[in-house]
Amino acid sequence: MLVPGLSPHDAVSNDARQMASVLRGANHEVRLFAPHARAIDDPVGTPEEIEGWLQSPRDLLIYHYCVGWEFALALLRRLRVRRIVRYHNITPPEFFEGWSPGYVSACAEGRAQLDAFARLDYDLVLGDSAFNIEDFTTRGVDPARCEVLAPFHEVDELRTIEADTRRVPLGSPLLLMVGRMSPNKGYLDLIESLAACVAGRARDARLLIIGKLDPNLARYGDAVTALIADRGLESRVTWLQDAGGAELRGAYERADALVMLSGHEGFCVPVVEAMALGTPVIALASSALPGTLGDAGLLWENADPHVIAESVARIADDAPLRNTLRQRGRERYESTFAPSVLGVRLLDIMQHRFAA
Amino acid sequence: MNASEQDDYLERIKDEIRAEADVARHRDPLPRADPPARSIPEAKSASAGVPIERERLDYALSDLTGIHYIAFVDNAFRALLKREPDEGGSHAQIRLLASGASKAEILGNLRWSREGKHVGARVHGLLPRYAIAKLARVPVLGYLVEWAIAFAGLAVMLRHQRAADTSTAAGFHAARDTQARAESELRGLHSALGSEHAALVAGHAGLVAQHADSLVRQQALNDAHDRRTEQLTIDLRVAREQADVMRDHTHALDQRLHASSDELVQLRHLVHTVNHWLVSLQRSLDDLESAEAASSERTDALAALVDEGPDAAAARNERYRNWSSALMQRLPAESSVLDLASGDGLWLDLLMSHGLDASGIEANVALVERTRAGGAAISVGDAMTALARCNDASLDGITLGRAALPDDRSGIDRLTREIGRVLKPGGLLLARIESEPFRIEPQGASIMDARRWSAVFAAAGFAPAQVLPADGGIAVLTTRP
Repeated sequence: MLVPGLSPHDAVSNDARQMASVLRGANHEVRLFAPHARAIDDPVGTPEEIEGWLQSPRDLLIYHYCVGWEFALALLRRLRVRRIVRYHNITPPEFFEGWSPGYVSACAEGRAQLDAFARLDYDLVLGDSAFNIEDFTTRGVDPARCEVLAPFHEVDELRTIEADTRRVPLGSPLLLMVGRMSPNKGYLDLIESLAACVAGRARDARLLIIGKLDPNLARYGDAVTALIADRGLESRVTWLQDAGGAELRGAYERADALVMLSGHEGFCVPVVEAMALGTPVIALASSALPGTLGDAGLLWENADPHVIAESVARIADDAPLRNTLRQRGRERYESTFAPSVLGVRLLDIMQHRFAA
Repeated sequence: MNASEQDDYLERIKDEIRAEADVARHRDPLPRADPPARSIPEAKSASAGVPIERERLDYALSDLTGIHYIAFVDNAFRALLKREPDEGGSHAQIRLLASGASKAEILGNLRWSREGKHVGARVHGLLPRYAIAKLARVPVLGYLVEWAIAFAGLAVMLRHQRAADTSTAAGFHAARDTQARAESELRGLHSALGSEHAALVAGHAGLVAQHADSLVRQQALNDAHDRRTEQLTIDLRVAREQADVMRDHTHALDQRLHASSDELVQLRHLVHTVNHWLVSLQRSLDDLESAEAASSERTDALAALVDEGPDAAAARNERYRNWSSALMQRLPAESSVLDLASGDGLWLDLLMSHGLDASGIEANVALVERTRAGGAAISVGDAMTALARCNDASLDGITLGRAALPDDRSGIDRLTREIGRVLKPGGLLLARIESEPFRIEPQGASIMDARRWSAVFAAAGFAPAQVLPADGGIAVLTTRP
């Protein structure tokens, strides 16, 4: 299994490591390869070692595609083994225009490689979501060679952690956003929605942001901070860049709603975390979000601040609605996204596609 | 709730939210959102401090190759891509360096990447070196090229080697100087440490003394704790004894409560018994009242049957003729007259025979039935009730028998006031006082003779009375002014 990088609590790393674990449980011999790995217990080989390790045409390479990487493309062209592309999506570069030329370049290169990747004769394209699969089917890949498997995650571990709410702000309603501070995550719309909350019925509203800021996106972080100041919301926004699992758990427990206004998500693990932990979700119906959230939350066609604000107020005031969303979220998690469900699904796919 | 109903439920909620949002949009409009300015940040750098020369696009190769390892890669990103290195990109180039790649290859990778081409920086002398580095990557040919380059450059390499030896020797020499200075500094540090050690020893002695003092305080605290514990033990024992007393008291209260409960049961039984007795008593009283009513009826019937004898009847006829003649002298025919306590109706019949419009009232039902059978207008009732039903100044005359007069003075006063109300001005009142002497209470034995009756009527506002004596009684005749 080839990954561009491995580190703890990273979504792609979690998916790769747990896929490896499930496959090992089914008596497959699995090894991870990555150019760099940090604080990972699994043995990790360098990408250059792959060709020596894969011996038979019946061997299988699973490549986790989430960035542009010439080496991986060349390797997949060269290898004469069975191949799966596990596609996590690449954010379109337009989201970063004006914020970070480095991101624009990296994302443009990553997406430019999609055409080349689509031309390879895969055994299987395994997408996180139906939305992700479209990137391949629209480039001519036969849908019959595509499957959807939601990414493995650490939500069950999160459910066992004791909540730490010491840094979680007090306020009602409390809006929560989880995700790195990036232009595609819709933070500016989120701040406008908080302003609408405060101007409207939810005058004591607070916003908790849990997510890191890449220094290369400092310009975007500055814009978000400036908008917070312009709207007079400094005392109402708490931004944690170093929150651990216990604080994340505490945030989900105390929040009235997870407000996810991302314009582009390949899957969105925070939505799954919220559903599992009983936090109602308000989301923008963009990219993969409708597929992930289903009917377990309030989906909106656009990020109208007043609509988002009224959604927050309604959830805070309407106990039957709140309970309905919580119940649906938990049911959706248990039926669709629980690790045991994903494990069975992965083994079914493997059995169906590669048993012969 | 099935799936369709669930969808309807959420859609209904969303419709309501949209409507509320429209109201909020007009009620609490947000300030106009100016799009945040998007441009390349001027001095946001992940690494410390080195500014990016954005305007500079012309470099000599030595400008970029004079520094090494991570600093070389970081500087190359800033110079050729005009930005800070990202983690993945930096790591990849450092890995190339560590695997033996030349700096020219690293610089070329960045310069001719998509992003580098976009920036367009010029590095003099880089292109041929980059081309050679890439040529060296070609299998077999690259190996030969590297050998050829190495062979051609042997003389230069030897000169570089000798220079390097000299540089290394100079480095060793400088290192020795540095070592000597370090040893000297170490000795100074050792001396300072000795002084600090002595100060620490002194401090330690002070701490030991403080520890001893702390032990004394600890002992005092322990003693206080023991005393407090002893006091608490005593308090606890007292509390337990009080708890025992309370338990006994509670037990006694329970017993009393139990006894009270028994008494309550008995009391309830008694109440039921008394209630039953009261019901029986009520029935008995009802029976008695029924018997009394029956007895009264029988009494009335018997009274109606009693004959007064021939002499008394003749005397009464004589009296009534005289009194009625006196009355008729003052009343015109067809005058309206009410007779109170008409008795057997003899007086009423006499009034009617004189052509008066006379009617009577009598309490004895048997007598009323008998009188009514004779054709007289008579009703069952008492005098006050009959007068109360008459309008003011509606009668020309009122006559009354002995039975209509109350036995007390206040009752007589009420009766005469009521008669005064009903009589027309100039109307006549004739009271028949017959048989035994008339007594009133509370004076007890006060006999109402003719003079007293006259005084009573005068007090009620009537004219001076005329007394009409006769055998067996008197009649008092007076007029309303």
